[in-house]
Amino acid sequence: MNSAITERPATGRIPIFSIFALLAGAGFIYFIVLAAGSHPEKAWLVFLINYLLFTGLALGAVVFSTMMHFTKAQWSRSLSGIAESFASFFPVSFVLFILMFLGQEHLFPWIGEDLHGKEIWLNVPFLFTRNLVGFLVLYTLGFAYLYHSLWFRLDRGDSSTFLKQILFKLWKNGTTDPEKIKRRMTFLAGWFMFAFAIVLALVGFDLVMSMDPHWFSTLFGAYTFVKAIYSGFGALIILAAFLHLSSSQSFTLTSKQFRDAGALFFGFSLVWGDFFYCQFLVIWYGNIPEETAYIIERTMVQPWSTFAWTIFIACFITPFILLLSGKLKEFPRFMIVMCSLVIVGFWLEHFLLLAPNYLDSVDTFPIGLNEVFITIGFLGLFAVSIITYLRQFPELLNGEVGEGT
Amino acid sequence: MSAETTSIMGLFESEEEALAAINEIKELGWEVQEVHSPIPSEKISAVLKRKKSKIGWFTLTGGITGFITGFSVAIFAATRWNLIVGGKPIISWFPFFVIAFELTILFAVFGNVVGLLTQVGLPTKQDDTYDPVCSGSFYGVLAGAKPEESEKLKDFLQNKGALASSFSQTT
Repeated sequence: MNSAITERPATGRIPIFSIFALLAGAGFIYFIVLAAGSHPEKAWLVFLINYLLFTGLALGAVVFSTMMHFTKAQWSRSLSGIAESFASFFPVSFVLFILMFLGQEHLFPWIGEDLHGKEIWLNVPFLFTRNLVGFLVLYTLGFAYLYHSLWFRLDRGDSSTFLKQILFKLWKNGTTDPEKIKRRMTFLAGWFMFAFAIVLALVGFDLVMSMDPHWFSTLFGAYTFVKAIYSGFGALIILAAFLHLSSSQSFTLTSKQFRDAGALFFGFSLVWGDFFYCQFLVIWYGNIPEETAYIIERTMVQPWSTFAWTIFIACFITPFILLLSGKLKEFPRFMIVMCSLVIVGFWLEHFLLLAPNYLDSVDTFPIGLNEVFITIGFLGLFAVSIITYLRQFPELLNGEVGEGT
Repeated sequence: MSAETTSIMGLFESEEEALAAINEIKELGWEVQEVHSPIPSEKISAVLKRKKSKIGWFTLTGGITGFITGFSVAIFAATRWNLIVGGKPIISWFPFFVIAFELTILFAVFGNVVGLLTQVGLPTKQDDTYDPVCSGSFYGVLAGAKPEESEKLKDFLQNKGALASSFSQTT
């Protein structure tokens, strides 16, 4: 059974890696063409939206693994292995963030503006430095956690893949005490989750809230990382469901695991809705023009109000009503549709928060084929990273779990 | 039951043994009267095919009542005074939702408690067949058979791996 997974796709099997790689390449070329055209800010807007969405997905999924280890959960061992595969997107995300430096004039509306004293925080060198340092710390913690977590998961007898050879070489010189490694994992998991909250809060303030430099909402940072956890859990369920349903993989989850993962997803839909409501209610009730202008434009003025209601229905009402029942969560196909709906809703939510800052007048429907193609390109890139990771560590799909909890 | 039946308690160490025993007892025609389990077991509940609990309906009713009550209380209070606060409409559902949410949770909990009190079958008389190890690490399967067959049942339980087996008469 092992060889069927480690072999390169035989003839007749769908070459998913190649398809996604092609989509990623096509999306990238499309983006460059668009960015060189007459409306580069639209291209960079889509870049930013996708960057934020997919980075959030990757981080949120890895948080699942650290969360489960930190709380000594046993039911989710096989799920955590899949969750850790999302860490393969970290280096890609890091490079993408550096690439955003190239589009700074189009991305940041506050460059050159009078910010009444906010310039000490909102200036390009400081912003990029602090976010890069934050990401470095976060991703290092994530990889260190993975280094120790994989110690328990990998099969020492088979060192056929490149990353496994490197890891085995590194582990030969290290400690062989499982208790010590578990303790290190717990330590790293805790700090990863802490850094996750801080760095994503920073990213939320710097890359989303600052795009309207005169608006602020104190809870926005926490709202950003709650979004990441919620959508990350959704992405994890989608991946687990696909692997479970795929006939060429031996990975399976019990219906109880699907139900528990779905229950967590449902719980975080409530958390997200709550954080959204917290900000909205306070701004609505206070009715201070400084704060309300942003909200009014996005929720009470066409065309953005349609977006706002679509997002609310897709990301909160629908999951709330449908996931209250226990039975539906056990069907992988249903969960794929449900979680995809939520993630598309979050793409729209990022669009709603960011686009009014870039698009002056909206006569036609603001989302066109350009946005779709670039998004598919990012999805291809995301999928390529995950597939690479899972191909490098095929025992994660076996469903056998090591200790480590 | 008007016919005399003898109840025998078999104590099993693992869920699988208890499950296997329950299935075989039912196949052989004896009655499984009660199963005491130290931890909640979905498999045993499924095999025993008891009626689904009605407590959830109590909670749901409580929750819906609470939701409506919350809005009603807030709207009633607002319409008594007809004050315009901060330019907001007198009846504005958006902040009233907070009160509705709180009362939803509260009344749902009340409904749950009422459901629990009425549905769990309190009060019951003293249960002589209960062995305290069933709160620890043993699964107790209380099976009933006609007095002539009680020895067969006892042997059967011991063959299935029951550690000990107590004995009581019921009518």
